[in-house]
Amino acid sequence: MFGRLSNFKHFPKPLWGDWLVIGFSLGLVILSFFTLWSQQPATTLRIRTGSTVFGEFSLMQTKSLKILGKIGVSAIDIQQGKVRFKQSPCNSQYCVHQGWLQHAGQVAICIPNQVSIELIGAVPTMDTLNY
Amino acid sequence: MRYLFLLLVSFTQLSCSIQLDPLYHTQSYVFGTLVDISIYGEKEPEAQFIASEITRQFQAIHNRLHAWKPSELNGINKTFAEGKPKLIEQDMADMIADASRRSLQSEELFNPAIGNIIHYWGFQSDDFPARTPDEAELSALLAQHASMSDIVLNQHQISSKNPHVKLDLGGYAKGYALDVGLKILQEFHVQNALINIGGNVIAVGQHGDRPWTVGIQHPRKPDAIATVALGSGWAIGTSGDYQRFFMLDGKRYCHIIDPRTGYPAQGTQSVTVLIPPSKDAGVRSDVSSKPIFISEPARKAEFAKKMEVSHVLIIQENGEILASPAMQKQLNWLDKEAQTRVRTLE
Repeated sequence: MFGRLSNFKHFPKPLWGDWLVIGFSLGLVILSFFTLWSQQPATTLRIRTGSTVFGEFSLMQTKSLKILGKIGVSAIDIQQGKVRFKQSPCNSQYCVHQGWLQHAGQVAICIPNQVSIELIGAVPTMDTLNY
Repeated sequence: MRYLFLLLVSFTQLSCSIQLDPLYHTQSYVFGTLVDISIYGEKEPEAQFIASEITRQFQAIHNRLHAWKPSELNGINKTFAEGKPKLIEQDMADMIADASRRSLQSEELFNPAIGNIIHYWGFQSDDFPARTPDEAELSALLAQHASMSDIVLNQHQISSKNPHVKLDLGGYAKGYALDVGLKILQEFHVQNALINIGGNVIAVGQHGDRPWTVGIQHPRKPDAIATVALGSGWAIGTSGDYQRFFMLDGKRYCHIIDPRTGYPAQGTQSVTVLIPPSKDAGVRSDVSSKPIFISEPARKAEFAKKMEVSHVLIIQENGEILASPAMQKQLNWLDKEAQTRVRTLE
């Protein structure tokens, strides 16, 4: 094994094809960094009712939750990495229309029912949201 | 001895790594929206006390300024309608005088006197049904010519020359509350905090060793379009057509009314302004975006200037994105596709 490692001393000079592969890989890494870093997949879901944290849940499961808010019951669906307000007792239904959330930092709030869902990743992307 | 030292080092490192971020975060619902307070670096009981004091004051402001429930402001509206004068508190007089000044500054595109028109559209309620506008009714309301310049303030006495003036400070109160919140934080010597009232945000200090980071909501996606690092004392505010609206025959009717037409403003999805530190940064973050939102595309830059806003981001209905040069320097784009469509606001 050590014999093989010593072969690195005699590693042949990289050809133009090698540089092409290296360049392409580097480009791929940089591209992935920018696309994935900015839209980090979320790992945890935090649900709040009013001013209290109702609970934190793993996103890596399939689960239906019913949350009793100020004006009624909000139905929340977790489905292997994504979450949504499935049903809401509010008139406007903005929360339901937001659809599936899956990236860290995404928030959906039902103001009339005072229920919010927030996706959290390994690294916090922002402290708050201007909307 | 050497091993003891190593052991000590390991313990110190372990305790450092398990020490939690000293961030206190709380949410509540005031002003018919979400209030989010973060306090960094204070002990939890203190942070909790200060945050609840801020929330209590916000609730008091909300109760005084409520536009469609019995409140001090509605008491004023009632005496306006009766054509009588009324004695009011000094801070209320100051607030109304300040709102009048800003209304003039915006050529009345920010017009808190048109409560009757806002009520007509149903936006003075928690849940508003879609309503088909009636041209004749709207024309009659417009003919009332409700203006802040109708209000006469004589020290503590207020009256209106026009009985149709109905104050609605919905585009002012949250910003005003941000300034009050900042004052409370300063009184308690809080070094690092972030207050968010329904999207209007003000920052104090920073979050540990980095600035407070605020995401700007994409008007048509459930994602942030970009983030900004909000420096100490800076405020950010957005006027959007996606916060309170209804759809009717495929057309969007948002809560921001153009006082010239009486109709919800069209053509703009969102306007975000960044305001540098000043004692009225909160109010400015709330008020300044409205005239820019309402004005026609060719005059948006002019209204930004009128409202003394140098950091502005505009997303038009046709998807066009305009940003002032100062704003472009502050934005950290998350939506790379949107970034490619940015044009400089001139």
